[in-house]
Amino acid sequence: MIQTKPSQVKNVHPFAHYAERILAGDTLLPDTPENVIEVMGALDSYGIVLDFYSINLNHVADTQFLNLFPIFKYFDGEINPGRMWRHFCHDRINYEYAEYTMKAMMWHGGGGMDAYLDTDEFRENCERAIAAKIKFNPVLQIFHRTFPEFLIEQIRQLCYYSGLGQFWRVMSDIFTSLAARYRNGEIEHIIQIVEHIKDGLVADAARPITYSVDIGGKMYDILPPSAGLTFLVDTAIPYVESIFFRGGPFLGTVSYNAQAQQISPDQSRFTYGALYADPLPIGGSGIPPTLLMQDMFRHMPDYMEEHYMKTVRQLGDVRVKICASFQRSMFCVTNAALVGLLPKGAGATEPDDIQANREFLMVWMDRLTTSQLDTVQTNPLGSN
Amino acid sequence: MLNALLLIPLVGALVIGCWPGKLTSERARNLGLVFLGINLVFSLYVLSQFDLSITELQFRESIPWIDHIGLNYELGIDGLSLPLLIINSLLSLVSVYASEKDIRRPRLYYPLLLVIAFAVAGAFAAQNLLLFFIFYEIELIPLYLLIAIWGGAQRGYAATKFLIYTAISGILILASFLGLVWLSGSSGFDYNPTMAHGLPWIQQAVLLVALLIGFGIKIPLFPLHTWLPDAHVQASTPISVLLAGVLLKLGTYGLFRFGVVTFSEVWVDLAPYLAWWAVVSVLYGSLAAIAQTDMKKMVAYSSVGHMGYVLLAAAASNPLSYVGTVFQMLSHGIISALLFLVVGVVYKKTGTRDLTVLRGLLNPERGLPIVGSAMVLAVMASAGIPGMVGFISEFIVYRGSFVSFAPQTLLCLLGSGLTAVYFLLLVNRAFFGRLAITEDRMDEQDPVLPVVTWQDRLPALVLVGLLFVFGLSPSWMTRWIEPTTTAMYDAMPIKLEMSSAHLASPLANASMANCSDGDCAL
Repeated sequence: MIQTKPSQVKNVHPFAHYAERILAGDTLLPDTPENVIEVMGALDSYGIVLDFYSINLNHVADTQFLNLFPIFKYFDGEINPGRMWRHFCHDRINYEYAEYTMKAMMWHGGGGMDAYLDTDEFRENCERAIAAKIKFNPVLQIFHRTFPEFLIEQIRQLCYYSGLGQFWRVMSDIFTSLAARYRNGEIEHIIQIVEHIKDGLVADAARPITYSVDIGGKMYDILPPSAGLTFLVDTAIPYVESIFFRGGPFLGTVSYNAQAQQISPDQSRFTYGALYADPLPIGGSGIPPTLLMQDMFRHMPDYMEEHYMKTVRQLGDVRVKICASFQRSMFCVTNAALVGLLPKGAGATEPDDIQANREFLMVWMDRLTTSQLDTVQTNPLGSN
Repeated sequence: MLNALLLIPLVGALVIGCWPGKLTSERARNLGLVFLGINLVFSLYVLSQFDLSITELQFRESIPWIDHIGLNYELGIDGLSLPLLIINSLLSLVSVYASEKDIRRPRLYYPLLLVIAFAVAGAFAAQNLLLFFIFYEIELIPLYLLIAIWGGAQRGYAATKFLIYTAISGILILASFLGLVWLSGSSGFDYNPTMAHGLPWIQQAVLLVALLIGFGIKIPLFPLHTWLPDAHVQASTPISVLLAGVLLKLGTYGLFRFGVVTFSEVWVDLAPYLAWWAVVSVLYGSLAAIAQTDMKKMVAYSSVGHMGYVLLAAAASNPLSYVGTVFQMLSHGIISALLFLVVGVVYKKTGTRDLTVLRGLLNPERGLPIVGSAMVLAVMASAGIPGMVGFISEFIVYRGSFVSFAPQTLLCLLGSGLTAVYFLLLVNRAFFGRLAITEDRMDEQDPVLPVVTWQDRLPALVLVGLLFVFGLSPSWMTRWIEPTTTAMYDAMPIKLEMSSAHLASPLANASMANCSDGDCAL
């Protein structure tokens, strides 16, 4: 499915100019007032939504450990008739989106966490926690003896709950502080947004990712600090790879036939992620975007609503608009990540260093050739 | 009481046309809605007062007019004309409601629409042959003007073609009526089902063939149909709604009312050939529809096909098939009106009806999801999906006609299958996939269609409701139709199952399709 261009020659590669832009300190997304409003509006609401997602993912990881029927997992411990009624009336955050994302990360794997989950050390950690958890549960004891991999696989999933929860905690704080700066009038250009995100990623790059559960008053390490898992390498990069780039072929207006090889059997060649998604057919590509767009709509800032109200359908097609704006904002996040990961740093001046940075960027440009990067260069969707 | 049904739209036309001072388009539309709203309420009142136990004409009005030529103002309705009157009142209201709020020349446009409502109601109620003919002709003039003035780019051509075809239709019908009165020695044009009884077979045949061709143009039947696709494509949406929903029914109504019983001796002899004619019409209409890339033309050709079922049922000449004849008229009236309404909304919002460029109109955010859903339901009804009115009408038609003409019925069933083919092609092309309204998929901007208002949706949703109401409870319609059609069947001096043409058929001894309790389809 991916149409990787082998060329590394900057004058021939169709996306070479984007790499040059980054090298020149410019941004992937054009710096226009409309783009600033859209990206800020998207990240403002996304920051709030990520806060909810993060809290819930951590709640599931911490309090629903090996609960095989976590009926109230979306309630964050607040189980009362009022909350249940609001839940049934769908007056709630779509936590399912966070779980889809978690499962996509788990499926695609990558990074240190994925590797650690297959180690004997992790298995021993799991066995200790499982033994404590099912000490008074003979049914689960028999079950565990019969299917020894099942509960361990459940814990692997809980690790991703926790890992994504911790990752989004950081991202939520980055976006929330960015939104506060925007409201204070400090943010006027796309480059400032990219810088803010990059600084946030770099500041927390080495933040440890750990996971422990409380069973009977005793803490059990599942991902101990000694595993050496960190924010940037073991959650952020696998997240970008899984969610921004690869995604999953979600059935929408396009039907995929895996048996006819319409979906690559090689997961690394998947291009169904957020940077590739077509915002127009809602629910049509990548992780079902409708859920996230609904949540972002609930927390859409006023300036974004005013901006959308100037369009033909006003709020009638708001989820498509949010999806398109969100995609623009994700190119800013990608931009920030690429700048942060430049092998010779963003401020390189030596020709050899610049060339090394260019070669690093060209690899990514190869992958972005089939993305929506060209599309987001034009005016924002629906703003005519 | 029937006078009021004719007078209300006529007075409405006069009021709008002669309104003192400046009359905005919106006010003219509102006035039209008021008059046609009253008209519909009054029609429903007539419906409520209609006595189902009487098979004779009811609400008769008789005023001598030009006595020496036999033209009298004779009105009356029975179970054949009553449902058609109601449909006329409803679809006239729908067509005014669906008209643009800023239409040009509203002082002319709305009166013309109201005159059509008046003339069609008059034709359905007229019990004098000449009076029927006058109403039949009156309706041509406003329709010609509505196409010629408010139509598309080729409106002049389409309107003139329509006028020529239907004028020939009128001449043939008039000739047949004059011949009938003259040959029967009748003192006037007041209609009597037994007028032609006793005439030589050949005379009856000539008169019936003239009627068949005359009404066959109006229905229209292949190969007399060529005016219809042009007229539909050039007419604006409200006019197409009226044309398909009501005006074509004048043809089938006229043929059924004045042809079948009056010339029953010849009718039953010609019935097998008429059934084959229906087959040709159905298959031609369906196959031609498959080949179309203009949504409106496709729907127009589907009309040609579906009106063929009416002829098939009328030819089958048994009590059940007669119920099917009327039911199919009403069912087609609702379904085709809905189809044209929806196609009109698509055209209004996208600027095209071209199936080679339209895609993904069901897109929930940027497309026309509710209107698109109405389209999906309309095509389901048209293809005869159970639970909807199209299934009931086609089931009754086939159940009635199979015992008389099995091969023809089976071939027409193929037409029903083809309906699913062309409408699925339409829905699949225009409504599914990624939203697009131009050929160039690489447009810088994705299409943003104008907002669909409730004015666009409401008439379609009302008709969708009727699809289900009569689809789930067909007896609400058959109870009005059945006593009259059974009486018409009983009045036929010669029955098909006793005719020489039918006795040769292997199914001649099969049980005759009967309908005695108003729930005959089920």
